[in-house]
Amino acid sequence: MRRRTFFEAIGGAFAFTAVVLLAPRSSFAHHGWGWATGEEFEITGRIKSVRLGNPHGEMMLDVDGAEWEVEIGQPWRNQRAGLTEDLLAIGAEVTAHGHRSANPDVRLMKAERLVIAGKDYNLYPDRAS
Amino acid sequence: MLVELLAGIENSALAGALRGSTWIYPLVNTGHIIGVALFFGAIAPVDLRLIGVWAGIPLTHVTRILVPMATAGLVLAVSFGMLLFSTRASEYAASWLFWLKMLLLLLGFVNAAVYLIAHRRAENNDAIMPVSSRVTLGLSSLVLWTGVIVLGRLVGYF
Repeated sequence: MRRRTFFEAIGGAFAFTAVVLLAPRSSFAHHGWGWATGEEFEITGRIKSVRLGNPHGEMMLDVDGAEWEVEIGQPWRNQRAGLTEDLLAIGAEVTAHGHRSANPDVRLMKAERLVIAGKDYNLYPDRAS
Repeated sequence: MLVELLAGIENSALAGALRGSTWIYPLVNTGHIIGVALFFGAIAPVDLRLIGVWAGIPLTHVTRILVPMATAGLVLAVSFGMLLFSTRASEYAASWLFWLKMLLLLLGFVNAAVYLIAHRRAENNDAIMPVSSRVTLGLSSLVLWTGVIVLGRLVGYF
């Protein structure tokens, strides 16, 4: 094969692969949600501990004796939703709506929306929750 | 004692500012990646040359440009890396993946030092490094730094 046609072939294969890989797929191909399931999931529990701050906040909930890790937002995201640190007090009851780990043995979920004392705090307003 | 040191780092004003920032943390993270990219992109061709690729090009022509670039990348990577570490010092210190990464990082430095010493010794004797040494050093470098990068990424997943 001539050198030019060889490189054209390589370039074509590369472009084709790029188009296939970049084609829009379900919203769960989006970075950060890939490890979770597609169905809406919710749990209610009492806050055991909270750790806020980049890259993202997380809290441990006591859900009927079982410990669940709930990922919440980056500082700006929490702030935008009105979710302040004092709302996330130890012992507070929280309902977390979002998506759980696809691994059934792992008690981890990523929250889209929290309900605390009857009020909604929506971390991802452009997502259904 | 280590626990207190880690807690002290984590609770510092600097670490707190990074954790609570909107833009600074992502930019520091990016800085670490740019440093890593620059370092690896510069050291990989040097290592390949040590192994014997592009044998027609004098080694010094390759190292003169790429070793300073690799050094700059390393400085960026380590500086921003330390900042990233500070935000979750205790958590990272509890990760075996992190410690393995630190071990490979140390071995990478040792490998680089061995190369520099061998290179200087050869220069002083107006000789060239034995092929076996060159190839071993180049190969070790590639393997070690690839390992550091892989482990660095895995820390975020497990």
